[in-house]
Amino acid sequence: MEKSMTEEIPVQKKKKFNLKQWIFIGPHFIFFAVFIFFPMIYGFYASFTRWNLLSTPQWVGLQNYQTILGDPSSSFYRQFRTGLFNTLVFVAGTVPLQVIIPLILAIMLQHKGVRFKGLFQAIFYIPGLISVSAAAIVWLLIFNPRLGPVNNLLGSEVTWVVNQPYAWIVIFMMTLWGAIGGNLIIYRSAMSGISRDLYEAAELDGASGTVKFFKITLPMIKFPLLYTIVMSTAGAFNVFAQPLMVTQGGPEQTTHVLMMYIRTLAFGQGQSVAGMAAAMSILLGLVIVVIAAFQFKIMYSNAK
Amino acid sequence: MERNKTFIITKWVSYVLLTITAIIWVFPAIYALTTSFKTQSDVIQTGFRLLPASWVMDNYARVLSNTSSAPIVRWFLNSVLISTSHTILMVIVVSLAAFGYARLDFKYRDTMFFVILAISMFPAVVNIIPNYMIVHRLGWVNTPLAVIVPGIAAVGNVFLVRQFMTGLPKSYDESARMDGASDFTIYLKIIVPLIKPVLIVTSIFSFTGSWNDFLWPTIVLNDVRQLTITAGMLLLQDIYGNYMMIGQLMASAFLAMIPTTLLFIFAQKYFIESLNLNTGLKG
Repeated sequence: MEKSMTEEIPVQKKKKFNLKQWIFIGPHFIFFAVFIFFPMIYGFYASFTRWNLLSTPQWVGLQNYQTILGDPSSSFYRQFRTGLFNTLVFVAGTVPLQVIIPLILAIMLQHKGVRFKGLFQAIFYIPGLISVSAAAIVWLLIFNPRLGPVNNLLGSEVTWVVNQPYAWIVIFMMTLWGAIGGNLIIYRSAMSGISRDLYEAAELDGASGTVKFFKITLPMIKFPLLYTIVMSTAGAFNVFAQPLMVTQGGPEQTTHVLMMYIRTLAFGQGQSVAGMAAAMSILLGLVIVVIAAFQFKIMYSNAK
Repeated sequence: MERNKTFIITKWVSYVLLTITAIIWVFPAIYALTTSFKTQSDVIQTGFRLLPASWVMDNYARVLSNTSSAPIVRWFLNSVLISTSHTILMVIVVSLAAFGYARLDFKYRDTMFFVILAISMFPAVVNIIPNYMIVHRLGWVNTPLAVIVPGIAAVGNVFLVRQFMTGLPKSYDESARMDGASDFTIYLKIIVPLIKPVLIVTSIFSFTGSWNDFLWPTIVLNDVRQLTITAGMLLLQDIYGNYMMIGQLMASAFLAMIPTTLLFIFAQKYFIESLNLNTGLKG
């Protein structure tokens, strides 16, 4: 009897200790629960409902998904297809260059004879700190058909943002402008961590620059490379600001990306179709997850 | 001899390509800046001219004195208030949470943290619509709180700071605890001072992230006077752009760029560190 009494003390002590951590993790946990966990669950739930954002959602089962994926007569079906297709065009047009351009720049900046490295790096990095909306205003002037320096310097008469493929070119260009700096710094720091001995040994064996790049540099920066590919892809799927600011989705909806449709359906003028928009965002989220998983798989199996 | 030649050729090829790219990268910002000092008649003249025929401050004067359709001074101050409060709140909440997950012992600590981390990795697109509902219920629509608070929930910063706190020797806490220090004293007097650089890095990133955020502010702020400067740019195209007031557009865009660019100039090493941290840790 006495023994069990003494045993209770440490149990009680532990219980008291268990409350104490909440002083520290509690505030963040509440924010997490309210602004990430609950919205995520609610987003899944809302995708199975008819909902106008403010009233009580009406359960409709799989109806939203059936409409989006399988009813060609519905405008939601067309919006989802157009939006997803345009988003994929954006991903395909920007992500490879967001990786390759900074990789090439990083290699050139690794060259022992090249100076002003800090200056070059700052020039490539600073546009990334400018908001996409301010950048769009600047790039619209650069590509202005009559007053812009591009047409005036090249003597061209292209009406950039209202014709394809020019509209995409403007969007890609301004995206790359802001997107390469971060990846560049990541690659540079990864490369500077590679031991010189590896390269010197390869040189003694008569390896060329290309061989050194593919046999030493690439494998050694495998993880940062994977990280930037996954992050750049996920970011590109969320594209919204560039087409909204530059083309408003035109010409003829060819740059109208999925996030723009989702936003208009949920928050646009007129009756909100938030349930439908939620279903589209779940589908977009799933596409992002599947592609990220796929990228991980390919990169890891190739790099071993 | 052969090697030397390759060295020189690759060096000059690198210089040429780097310089061309650098010019393309710098040019839009410079051109926008010089255009913001041009007169309207100078702007609408065709033909390329980088520098203004005469330098004028008119565009800035006009833009800054607009207090109704595009109150840019107000937007700028809104952004300063929002980004600063967001950053301060973030540092407090994140460092507390990271301390809890890194240096306190409790049941399921790591499991709990990694479950939270995993959940937060699901694409944020899904959260946007319900988050609007929550912010609406809280009565925050068209108030700074709508853009200050929700971002605090992000788990990435907690992960980063926790990682650094985990790396500090346990003996620090233990000896302080022997002397009767409370957990909070250990957090404030021992751990926080040691991880200051990481906190600076996360602050800088939070500030720029908050300053440049576009999608969320355009959803939860629809009163012109409550907008952030980044979201306000969307309106400027209709206000100035349609009337070819390009000088004024450029002056506005330039004002919107100043804080983050200045921050970079003064804290360049932290920006670079932050990117290294982000990937280095997970490597």
